[in-house]
Amino acid sequence: MSYNIPIGPYHIALEEPYKIEVECEGENVIGSSLKVGFNFRGIEWLAQRKNITKSIALLERVCGICSNVHSMSFCMTLERIGNIEIPERGQHIRMVMAELERLHSHLLWAGVASELIGFETLFMQIFRLRESVMDALESISGNRVNYSMNRIGGVNRDILDDSKVREVAHAIRAVTEGILIPLLTTDQTVIARCQGVGVLTRKDAIAYGVVGPVARASGVDSDLRRDQPYLAYGKVDFSVPVQTAGDVLARVVVRALEIVESCKIIDQVLNRMPQGPIHAGEIYSVPAGNAVVRIEAPRGEVFYYLASNGSDTPLRVKVRTPSFANIPSVAAMVMNNTIADVPLIQAALDPCYSCTDR
Amino acid sequence: MTAEETRLKIGGTWTERADGWWLSVSAASIQKIARTMLEAEARFVAIVALSEPANAMRLSWHWDMGGTLLSAVSFLAEGINVPSIVEIYPGADWAERETRDYYAVTFEGRKETPTLMLRNGDKPGAFLRTSGDRL
Repeated sequence: MSYNIPIGPYHIALEEPYKIEVECEGENVIGSSLKVGFNFRGIEWLAQRKNITKSIALLERVCGICSNVHSMSFCMTLERIGNIEIPERGQHIRMVMAELERLHSHLLWAGVASELIGFETLFMQIFRLRESVMDALESISGNRVNYSMNRIGGVNRDILDDSKVREVAHAIRAVTEGILIPLLTTDQTVIARCQGVGVLTRKDAIAYGVVGPVARASGVDSDLRRDQPYLAYGKVDFSVPVQTAGDVLARVVVRALEIVESCKIIDQVLNRMPQGPIHAGEIYSVPAGNAVVRIEAPRGEVFYYLASNGSDTPLRVKVRTPSFANIPSVAAMVMNNTIADVPLIQAALDPCYSCTDR
Repeated sequence: MTAEETRLKIGGTWTERADGWWLSVSAASIQKIARTMLEAEARFVAIVALSEPANAMRLSWHWDMGGTLLSAVSFLAEGINVPSIVEIYPGADWAERETRDYYAVTFEGRKETPTLMLRNGDKPGAFLRTSGDRL
């Protein structure tokens, strides 16, 4: 006989509200249903009633982790409609911010996952490392969460002294390559908790449309930074880590390897940082038109669609976040796993419910 | 199958833009297009709804193939039902439910369409009802 267990909206594994109801037979999960929307703020609706300058700040608040990627994507959609060229230095600064944000997001996730696995020491070490990324972001922007770096046509602040960023990228790469990756791939506790757990096959990954590290851990070799390069990503050298097992361990490994790649990108971008202006001047509206921009955020592809009638207020702003694409696949991942593994499987998605609900 | 082969198989006149390839379609053909996309291992990305003048609606479905965006766009009268693609792409479930929440589009062929962002029992079409003042 089966029975249902409701988990959430206040959650044992995650800080944000969402609900999963699992149907079990004994310890095994045989079905599930998800409920989101507890954080619905109507950000798209609001953005269709504010001028675009105000909306940059609004959209930066879609997510508390990858805030920069949202204001950047919004600005890039307007820049595409208006055919606005971003100065090269502005492009490079956006890349530094985007990769620092990826480091901070992946390290946050690695810390949370370590705690869920029961590895408290690793959790503390990873969060210590993550603090240094926050310090680097603060050294550039003056802020640790919402950086206010993006404007239409470039960025608001220059990187005048890159020493802190270089130091952080080198330290994180050394710790990730020297300690984190060996530990995550050989430690018996990690392997016992993660290997073969929460498998998402490649076929299901495509059918569910998952993105980012979740897709790459299921053998889907995609990364917009390489496949459809934007900013100056076409000019830097980096690899796209792909695993085929599709389990929690594969997601752990992909993210750990991506930390190293982000450090390499930051190093290259700082080395080739061109001189010149950081933005294209004062821009408060764009011509009539519509466009899509897609960016590889830390959790995967962010999709922005914007339609303009030529005024300073958009007709339509559509935001599809990576978590919105990834969370439904939990239904496939938890099937035939034990109830005890459900929190870890969900956390392995690196879900963000504020992003999802907007 | 490449993005180009997929476009050829679907047929029609595709337009290349800076953000990808776009095709005007009848909403009735969307299931056939979705099946071809799945065969080609295209990843479903999103559905975008947009209110047009004179109670019209623009609905677009978006897929990705190797970084190339393939978009099918359909113009329809408000209140017209549209075939669901959930049986083909389970990942489209939330996109359809959200589109119903905001624009009251009915997707035909689904067993049920529960609210996603709105509360149970809320009337669909939140973005249509609230074309209010500029903030």
